[in-house]
Amino acid sequence: MRSPIRKAMDIFVVFIVAIYLAPIYWISLTSVKPMNEINSKEPVWFFEPTMEHYVEAFERFEFGKALLNSSIIVFSATIITMILALIAAYALARMKLRGADVLSLFILSLRFMPGVVIAMPYYLMFLKVGLIDSHIGMIIVYVGYGLPFAVWIMRGFLIDLPKDIEEAARLDGLGWMSIIRRIVLPLSGPGIAVTAIFTFVFNWNEYLFALYLTQANAVTLPIQIAKMVDAYTVLWGTISASVVMQLVPMIVVVFLLQRHMIRGLALGAVK
Amino acid sequence: MTHKSILRLSEGRIALFLVLPTLIILIGLAIFPLGWAGALAFRVENLFRPDIGKWVGFRNFKYLLTEDTFWKSIRLTLVWCVCVVSIQMALGFLFAMMLDTRARIVGVLRTLIVIPVFISPIAMGLTWQFMFEPVTGVINYCLELLGLPGGTWHTSTDTALMAVMIADIWQWTPFVTLILLAGMQGISPEVIEAARLDKVRGWKYITKIVIPLIWPVVMVVLLLRLVDSIRIFDLVYIITRGGPGTATLVASVYDFTIFQAGRIGVMAAYGFLILIVINLVVILFLRLLYRQEKEARIVQKA
Repeated sequence: MRSPIRKAMDIFVVFIVAIYLAPIYWISLTSVKPMNEINSKEPVWFFEPTMEHYVEAFERFEFGKALLNSSIIVFSATIITMILALIAAYALARMKLRGADVLSLFILSLRFMPGVVIAMPYYLMFLKVGLIDSHIGMIIVYVGYGLPFAVWIMRGFLIDLPKDIEEAARLDGLGWMSIIRRIVLPLSGPGIAVTAIFTFVFNWNEYLFALYLTQANAVTLPIQIAKMVDAYTVLWGTISASVVMQLVPMIVVVFLLQRHMIRGLALGAVK
Repeated sequence: MTHKSILRLSEGRIALFLVLPTLIILIGLAIFPLGWAGALAFRVENLFRPDIGKWVGFRNFKYLLTEDTFWKSIRLTLVWCVCVVSIQMALGFLFAMMLDTRARIVGVLRTLIVIPVFISPIAMGLTWQFMFEPVTGVINYCLELLGLPGGTWHTSTDTALMAVMIADIWQWTPFVTLILLAGMQGISPEVIEAARLDKVRGWKYITKIVIPLIWPVVMVVLLLRLVDSIRIFDLVYIITRGGPGTATLVASVYDFTIFQAGRIGVMAAYGFLILIVINLVVILFLRLLYRQEKEARIVQKA
């Protein structure tokens, strides 16, 4: 029972979304284009695809090292953040804690802290204790960076869990640890997954702290990609290949999250 | 009774014990550095000359206030926030309206359109820079196809700010869309049906029904976008480094160049000014939101 006008409008909307994503197609296309066709004045649409830029990114620009650094730092930071956030959020959301609301708001407010303000003291602190340009240093920074958001979102998810089951379990004589392990953790699975993925995304894309605190040994992907511009402005092929390799995991993430992401993006504050 | 109160007491203790690690870490990694930055703001400190550090009161702030580049960076940040946030809100609302009435395809489109939000500003900034290239860039090529003159985009003083704004608007409009869309889909079908029966359509439907009903959501998105715009760094820095000249030297980028010059006292002072502005904005918005909630409750009661 759909009118042709409505159908035409549907197609129009699909078309707009397709156009909107054009920059992503373009950079992906460029990443497999032969060198001499990238900088031609007229865009080349048909060409023999090549992987030379991907190879070049690894061989000449230490992409592999940055990828490994990013993976180590981001995975470790995400796991530590999640453990801390889960424990704290459980206490804030489910237990009788005086001032839980004020504490939660305080933790949330740290999310608004501008990076430029605290990056400098980090730099000085790390200089003193020798953590500049180290994996451990970056993991510490990213735990602090992701924690406020993770606690807040996790708390939102936990508040929504029905309280009855937990009460029943308590009446049956289950202790704290078993309640958390057998009831809360399984029920909040989706919430934990969403929070972990968001924490991962933020850390994966982070640039400012890494810019202050890494030099060579612990450079992360965004830093390494940005360095390619500094040195060789014209090598757009290699840059696009690196950009594509950096963004593919994020596109996978978007599809994993699907409709859950609204909740996460809105910081749990829309509710 | 006594048994219960002992139980409650211990629950509070356990809860505090569970929150403690997070609190300690956040105090160590946020509050302590903040205090350090606060102290630095009142000192002369130079990274390259550690020997000259001393307390100087408000001198760093006074210095900033008399500097032309400082005022230019404030102006640029203001222009940035006003333009970027208003266009993102308007476009985001338009997209959300378009998607809202398309129940069958909304799931897929929503997933697709939000991709830019998840990609790092560094990757997206480079992509836009590549497309903006005046001679070989695809954007100028497309403009020429349409018979329009190409631009100089990020390479000239006049257009650099606009070029970076376009990249930012492109990246964050889907975020606005997604959250407004969630708000719109939360409007109860009865309200929409009643509006339809009363023949409330078009502009009137939008301004009298949709906007008032999703107003709290609008305020939250506006707040989040505003805070992120005030402290914008990555995207501007990767595309222009604040240039050409000082054409895109927004607050955080300028602050970073002061760090590069080693003048960390001045840098901390500027950082603090940014922090104060962000705090004022957040407080203002929370006040507005809170008041509206109170009014809504009064209306509901009456």
